[in-house]
Amino acid sequence: MESRVLKPILAVYVVAFILFLYGPFFVLTILSFQQGPDGGPQFPITEWSTYWYQQIFGLTPPSRIAPLPVGEALIRSLILAFMTMVTSTVLGVMSAQAFRRKFRGSSFVFYLIVLGMMVPGVLTGLGTSLLANNVFGITRHWYTTAFATHVAYTFPFAFLVMLAILNRFDGSVEEAAWSLGVTPWKTFRKVTFPLIFPGVLSAMLFAFTLSLDEFPRSLFAAGGTEDQTLPLAIYGTFAVEIHPNIFAFGVLTTLFSFALLSVYGILMGMSVRRARKLAMQEEIA
Amino acid sequence: MSDASVAAKGQGASWLILPGIVWMALFMVVPIAMICYVSFWTQTTFNISSTPTLASWKQFFASDTYTGALWTTVRIWLIVLATTFIIGYPTALFVGLFVKSKTLSTVLLVICVIPFWTSFLIRVLAWRPMLGKEGAINIILMKLHIISQPIEVLLFTELSVIIGMSQIYCVFMVGPIAFMLGRIDRNIIEAARDLGAGFGRIFWKIIFPLSLPGVVVGAIFVSVMVLGEFATSGALSGRKVNLLGNIIVTQVGSLKWAMASVTGVILTVVMGLVIAAFLRIVDLKQEL
Repeated sequence: MESRVLKPILAVYVVAFILFLYGPFFVLTILSFQQGPDGGPQFPITEWSTYWYQQIFGLTPPSRIAPLPVGEALIRSLILAFMTMVTSTVLGVMSAQAFRRKFRGSSFVFYLIVLGMMVPGVLTGLGTSLLANNVFGITRHWYTTAFATHVAYTFPFAFLVMLAILNRFDGSVEEAAWSLGVTPWKTFRKVTFPLIFPGVLSAMLFAFTLSLDEFPRSLFAAGGTEDQTLPLAIYGTFAVEIHPNIFAFGVLTTLFSFALLSVYGILMGMSVRRARKLAMQEEIA
Repeated sequence: MSDASVAAKGQGASWLILPGIVWMALFMVVPIAMICYVSFWTQTTFNISSTPTLASWKQFFASDTYTGALWTTVRIWLIVLATTFIIGYPTALFVGLFVKSKTLSTVLLVICVIPFWTSFLIRVLAWRPMLGKEGAINIILMKLHIISQPIEVLLFTELSVIIGMSQIYCVFMVGPIAFMLGRIDRNIIEAARDLGAGFGRIFWKIIFPLSLPGVVVGAIFVSVMVLGEFATSGALSGRKVNLLGNIIVTQVGSLKWAMASVTGVILTVVMGLVIAAFLRIVDLKQEL
């Protein structure tokens, strides 16, 4: 029938679509192996080399092309992402926990939180820096104002993830603990938290990666050059001439992301396996 | 039963939600209110004072640069919305409806998401060696003898901004649409086919209407991101395409906070209108 004709056509289309998604990154990867320091960020490849990778790690003799100013920026970004991850996950778990019970104005609060992932970074960034400059008279830093805007962006994601997890959560195990006289906090720690842990991991992953790559909010809400996060350092190279070192750096950050994803996958797999093991023990008992 | 006991034990609910509300109020609602407020402040060369004035608003609407940026933003938003939809829908159709195996459709979706593990700015920058005069596309087309001269309009034009944004944002269309298509009850399609409906009729009468909530969610994602854009337009147009976001960045760069705020308010209004319009098409709460 028609779908027999349509399906192969669509399959070919999807392959083309994936090529469209990956094309630029392939080209970027190829060009990152351009000869250095004279090779430019375009074809043809004059000679294959790992010069630009070595340059990032400071292994090349000084040349006219300055190395990327990424070392300290990377550390700042990682710390900021970690702070953001912890704060927004805690806020996300707390808020989602509160949403297990209907309360007055709950739908208003829901939209208030979810709006945080919708509002463009330029707006929250601009508003926060206006507040810092004109109302509070404080200096903007990556670990103060930028951190606040990052959390306002990532907390909604953590909240939604936790809401989805807690919606499917079976409350009877908690009731069992309470009826045995366990305090609510201990119940949360010993019963609820281990059960929602996979969700917590996902929320953490969301918050960490979103913050690590967050750019517009940092642009406005972080201060001067001593406050540069990684995306700001990359943005700084946009204005001047680009060199293949930025491509090599792009490849490295992608590999880093994959490593992070693998760690997440392993942790997730471990927690699923542990849950299965527990379930089996219960069955045997 | 469960609800009642949760309620009984969960007296802490109000303090649990409080930090979240305070954070969002302080770092999202108040900043945006502040933008509205500052847009009426008086701008001097290097400073602003809180004396109320309409000067910046008048200046915005009197200047072709600023109103031009507004129309460019709307135009690019509409074009990118259309391209992401046209590019994304067939993919979503395949992933959500035509692929029978759950594993394969998950694998395909993961493949679509993997590029997001590269930094946003690097993904933008990656289009430069693709589109340039000596870029990959021109080289390939010349090798294939399709063109004899490199196409120069590919980079540092509005076209390059549209190509770049379409690639970066089309996945946000694919995901929600594929999700809605995956939820369609296959029996409805079978029934229609048994009654003699062709694929075209089935698509327009059943599949497309049922996927509409996904389209709206995707469109909201894409719209919100494109309207707030400035990095892609700056990097791929050589600063020739100015969106409202670019105006805000340059105004802040030259310490014109009042004008940046006016632009911010206009951006907020445009965004609000767009989201409200989409939510009118489909009542999301009912659908999801």
